[in-house]
Amino acid sequence: MSMNDLIATIKKVLEEVDVVLGWTRSPAAGVAVPARFHTPDEADGAIFDSTCTHNLAVHLPRLKNSKVGIVAKGCDARSIVQLIVEGEVSRDRIRVIGVPCPGVIDVKRAWRCFGFGKKIEDAGGRVHMEGRSMPREEILLHKCHQCQDQEPVIMDLAAGDVKSVTPPPPPDKTGIRERFAAMSIAERREFWREQFSRCIRCYACREACPLCFCRDACSMQTREPHWTGGQVNAIESEMAQQVRTSHLAGRCTGCEECERACPVGIPLMLLLEEQNRIVEELFAYRAGMSLEDKTPLLTYDVNRDGGWR
Amino acid sequence: MLGVFVCQCGTNIAATVSTDRVVQAAKSMLGVVHAESIQYTCSDPGQRAIIDAIQQKGLTRVVMAGCSPRMHETTFRRAIGRAGMNPFMLEMVNIREQCSWIHSDIDEATEKAIDLVRKGVARVRRQKPLQAGSSPVTRRALVIGGGVAGIQAALDIADAGIPVTLVEKSSTIGGNMARLDKTFPSLDCSSCILTPRMVEVKQHENIKLMVNSEVEKVRGYIGNFEIDIRKKASCVIEENCTGCLICQEKCPSKAPDDFNVCAGESKAISIPFSQAVPLVASLRKEYCRLFIKGKCSVCQKVCPAGAIDYEQEDIVVTEKFGAVVVATGFGLYDWKQSYPTYGMGMYPDVINALKYERLLSASGPTGGRIERPSDGKEPRDIVFISCIGSRDESVGRPQCCSIGCMYMAKQAILTKEHIPDSQSYIFYIDVRAAGKGYDEFTRRAQTDFGAIYIRGRVGKIYPRGGKLVVMGTDTLAGDQVEIEADLVVLATGLTPAEGAGQLARRLNISTDGQGFMAEGHPKLKPVETNTGGVFLAGACQGPKDIPASVAQAGAAAAKVIGLLSQEELETSPMVAEVNQLKCAGCFKCRDVCPYGAVEAQDARDGQVAHVIASLCQGCGLCNVACPPGVISLKGYTDNQLIAEVVEVLR
Repeated sequence: MSMNDLIATIKKVLEEVDVVLGWTRSPAAGVAVPARFHTPDEADGAIFDSTCTHNLAVHLPRLKNSKVGIVAKGCDARSIVQLIVEGEVSRDRIRVIGVPCPGVIDVKRAWRCFGFGKKIEDAGGRVHMEGRSMPREEILLHKCHQCQDQEPVIMDLAAGDVKSVTPPPPPDKTGIRERFAAMSIAERREFWREQFSRCIRCYACREACPLCFCRDACSMQTREPHWTGGQVNAIESEMAQQVRTSHLAGRCTGCEECERACPVGIPLMLLLEEQNRIVEELFAYRAGMSLEDKTPLLTYDVNRDGGWR
Repeated sequence: MLGVFVCQCGTNIAATVSTDRVVQAAKSMLGVVHAESIQYTCSDPGQRAIIDAIQQKGLTRVVMAGCSPRMHETTFRRAIGRAGMNPFMLEMVNIREQCSWIHSDIDEATEKAIDLVRKGVARVRRQKPLQAGSSPVTRRALVIGGGVAGIQAALDIADAGIPVTLVEKSSTIGGNMARLDKTFPSLDCSSCILTPRMVEVKQHENIKLMVNSEVEKVRGYIGNFEIDIRKKASCVIEENCTGCLICQEKCPSKAPDDFNVCAGESKAISIPFSQAVPLVASLRKEYCRLFIKGKCSVCQKVCPAGAIDYEQEDIVVTEKFGAVVVATGFGLYDWKQSYPTYGMGMYPDVINALKYERLLSASGPTGGRIERPSDGKEPRDIVFISCIGSRDESVGRPQCCSIGCMYMAKQAILTKEHIPDSQSYIFYIDVRAAGKGYDEFTRRAQTDFGAIYIRGRVGKIYPRGGKLVVMGTDTLAGDQVEIEADLVVLATGLTPAEGAGQLARRLNISTDGQGFMAEGHPKLKPVETNTGGVFLAGACQGPKDIPASVAQAGAAAAKVIGLLSQEELETSPMVAEVNQLKCAGCFKCRDVCPYGAVEAQDARDGQVAHVIASLCQGCGLCNVACPPGVISLKGYTDNQLIAEVVEVLR
């Protein structure tokens, strides 16, 4: 896919929508940042590369009354589908531009390696930064390893050949997931106590999550009902996160935005991945795969044998 | 201004819980201005003491620590209402069923009672006054099951001028009673007393009879059920069929004779018995040559009324009802697997008593001549064995079938009348004959009809020279007994009818350990269920004989008539409510609501949820499904429940 393909597609979609959500390059940080394109001139700044990590679906519920185009990676498309299924986005008000995604990189980790603000470029399967470089697969986000969703499940137009992408490699087996899996229950308790002692209750996890659309009524924050306290301590913060996690049961599409947004680096996806695994095991269900699906936890039918629709 | 009243319930509570200490502890709880212990709070002086305290101390909230709210919540709501308070500013704390009755240590039980009271105080402090609403009542009843109980209930309700739909699974009403030859203890001919009632059902202007039909889906609630009934295709146009039986005569496809408990053989198209109501043939596709091999259509050719329609499809009818009577009756316990020493069904002359009943019946497959299944010979020595799959812990079925002793005596008498030189032997555990005229009847079987009663169980049955050797114990004589029998009749236990569990789930009523439908209260609500507007009649609730089934059907009918004579029902104010300012409009509440009580309303920035109070039944499902928790159940808000949990854990 060339940038020109993408820009041309966005311009075409702009003929029938009010705004297109996409990415442009930040001159200061050197990486992709989300952008709203209202005019063909603005669309000339559109880019897509492996620094386009953000899940732009999070903006859709906030643009309920506009016609919106959205550039979507395969994984983002699942979030869009889930939002449509839950009635937060109406299908006929959006146009989805699918892009072929080779996997996106962990920009925070790249900055840690090369220094903040350096221009990151992706060419020939390597990530380049002011003369230095490393293989892209060594710095991919965890979700991109063994990605099953490269072809967007929902798409009106494609910018480039979305089927052409080669599958990314399996994850490195020395990471936090392997260490966590080897822990005893007591060690895990200690692990989470330590992790959540760093939580500052900034709610970036919630704000980045496309499916946390309860706005100012969020049960992590409200006292009506008073499920969790607002104190910044490991117990309350963990409880608040457990509430968020359970509210995403059967809804989380695994986009990893909560973990990426967390400024103190709490590995929130460990909770959600485990929950998604359980949901898939119990109900053979992955969220955001079909517009006809209903979240399994909402579909108990007393009139049916066994109860599940 | 909170008052706590601790009931002693005589010694029911006071013997295990120190009510004085509970009162002392309550006095120090936040908001409590009055606490006292009363011997019987539900008694007239007890209620007067509560009312006096409310009026003298100006109480605005009340905690009643006593029995279960199922028992007396309404009593105390009325009492505090009489004192001028909002009746819903009450919290019942159960320190009897959930405390004194299940504990023995006084200190621990008292401690727990104090915890429970503290929990109740925390909850009622957050209670807001509520107002009851009302909903209209659909004046039409549904009776499920067309056995004697269903027939009786339908007729009683219909006679009161209320329209009734009677739904029957099979092709005719009559149920198990229609299979019986005579009834104990009067030896009335069963069909002579049942058939007129069946015909009355057919002719009653207020009864709509639906055979070959089953309840498929149930929505709604007391006074306002909406029920889907599936009428299965029978390939026969009911209005055209005259019951001439030519189709059955000419039909070349043999099929099991379910009505005669397979004592005879039937055809794929048939009318089960000659008094069937409606007298209409129906076709069982699974045995029909046309549907199996694709070629036949004999019945269509011979039918003089043009009543055969192979293209007929199932119809689903949706109707509204104000009340439901369940009368699905019973099935027979399948003894074959559990009693391997009785031959596991390999000996054709070991049969259950219902099959024997068909052999006794003049309208049965043998025309009332008793023939044993193996060789068609008339038996001389007949052994009856009681309690097969009942009163038998070893097969996990401890309960009494309640009719076995009586029908064994009846069948022994009838056997003697049919074959004067026959001899009946009855193996029994006890003779349970508690009804009116019952004991005399079982004695007559022995004195006048020569039945030999042997107290004990049968260990083994095996064939020898064309006979069956029955080896048992006579526990009174302390002897082993060996009888050479021509026929063995097993008095098998009763089970719920096939599909009863599924129906119970659809109606949202509970079942007991054996799968029989559970009554609301074993003594005070014997025909009600825990779901308002659903009543029980007959053996679906537990094994019982015909008079008991008919009596219960009458009682259920009386409840239905009482319910449907009201134009409006008071509805609970404990319904869901949406804080629309905070609703995100995801409508998970609407997805889970079983009553269709949630609708969308337009707000400035999209749609938000709204609860139609008259439809809401307060089940709380929406409460759980709402991620931000902005839909809540009045009187059961999240914060009330959280406060309770916090107090218990304190």
